Amino acid sequence: MSIARFSPFELLLLKSRSQVDTATLLLLAWVLVHRQHISEGQRRRRLADVSAQFRHGHELTPVMSIAHSQDLQAIQLAAEVVRKECSKARSLSVIHKAISVATDDGALSIANHYILRFLADLLNVAPVTLATLFQELTGAPLSSPEDPSRDAYWQIHDPDYHARKAREAAAAEQKARQEQARAEQQQRQKNEREQHKQQKQQDKQRRQDEARRAREQEQQRKREQTHQQEQEQERARQRKQSEREQRSRGHYSHQQEQRQQQSRNHYSDQQRPSPPPDRTTRALSVLGLRPGATRIEVRHAYRRMAQLHHPDRFYTKSDQQIALASARFQRIKNAYDYLMKTY
Amino acid sequence: MRDLYQRLAISPEANEQDIKRAVTSCQHSVLRQDAESVFAVAERRAAYDTLHETVSDIGRLRARLGLTHGAHWQGDVANDFSMPPDQAVSRHDELIGRVGLAVSLYNRWQRFRGPWLLITVFTTGASVGLALGLALCLGLIPM
Repeated sequence: MSIARFSPFELLLLKSRSQVDTATLLLLAWVLVHRQHISEGQRRRRLADVSAQFRHGHELTPVMSIAHSQDLQAIQLAAEVVRKECSKARSLSVIHKAISVATDDGALSIANHYILRFLADLLNVAPVTLATLFQELTGAPLSSPEDPSRDAYWQIHDPDYHARKAREAAAAEQKARQEQARAEQQQRQKNEREQHKQQKQQDKQRRQDEARRAREQEQQRKREQTHQQEQEQERARQRKQSEREQRSRGHYSHQQEQRQQQSRNHYSDQQRPSPPPDRTTRALSVLGLRPGATRIEVRHAYRRMAQLHHPDRFYTKSDQQIALASARFQRIKNAYDYLMKTY
Repeated sequence: MRDLYQRLAISPEANEQDIKRAVTSCQHSVLRQDAESVFAVAERRAAYDTLHETVSDIGRLRARLGLTHGAHWQGDVANDFSMPPDQAVSRHDELIGRVGLAVSLYNRWQRFRGPWLLITVFTTGASVGLALGLALCLGLIPM
């Protein structure tokens, strides 16, 4: 047994002469609460106005206070009652009333956009019907709700702020520009001073450089003379050696060629099973083999794996196990097919 | 209407510092700009929060009433504000159940009221008689 007492709306609903009317009243009050730029007295009068035909037979004040408190459970209960009890024609009239309550003269608030659409979904009213109904009642087409989660919305609805911000930004920029100009002037003065200093230094360095270069040139000339002498000696020695080699080469050349050919053959033998591509390795590992297995080994491994994982072995087990086994078997078979094609 | 709190992975009750940190660390430039313009001014945030609350209420209602795939519930709103259905039962069924319980209790009370009335009348009568007899025996009341 629940300890919770009956909520105010439940009591109201139980006391009401017509439950649908009470529930509709709450939903209309909910719409009214979310209407902007309207006083409390106007709201109450509007609700009394729209519920003139209702047969609920109780006060409107408690309904209004429940709507103000945003009691989600009460609204849910009202929505369930309305959905359960309303016929097609009646639900259209409820939507009709909701639209007229939401937009008497002013614009539809964003919250009411969503509430109206919720009611339309609740009462099975198609978007086309809602749009035509809205057009007939207000003379304006039902637009999509504006989006305050976007920058563009606030650009339109709060232009003062942006103007102020732009002005502030402009002022800041001007200030920055002035500071930059001052800094540039200072920099220029400093640069001029430095240039003077640098020119003096450069003159000094140039004089030093010239003296050093003269000294180096003299040294170079001496070194070149000695180098030429050495080169001549070297050339004479090389000539003698090459004559000796030509005499001995006629003997050796044949043997050397043979050896080279052999080594080339050996090299290409090693190259042929090029490092196996990724897919081959994977297919081999599916069959439980290492890379480099022979065709016969692959066939044996396939037979063994197929026997182990054939789905027919699992026919007594659950459906899921059979499905798993057949997936495994398919993978093994794919790997085997691929290897037979490439090997 | 998008749920900026959800998209920035912060709670709607987060304070300004947390929000600022989340906004500056956001990778999506458009979202960052939007969030900056909404959360920069307190009034805008208040306006956004009221609407956010209403729309999430509607999302919750839709989840409970099985209207999360309605024709009027599309786009950003449906993406951000559709909640998973919670364990809440139909309020109307619950109300009917509670009314039924109350009715059965009332009925039981009505059924048992007759015998209980008899019993109480009998016991009070007997106790009054006993008291009177005791008083007589002790001679408190003069003959």
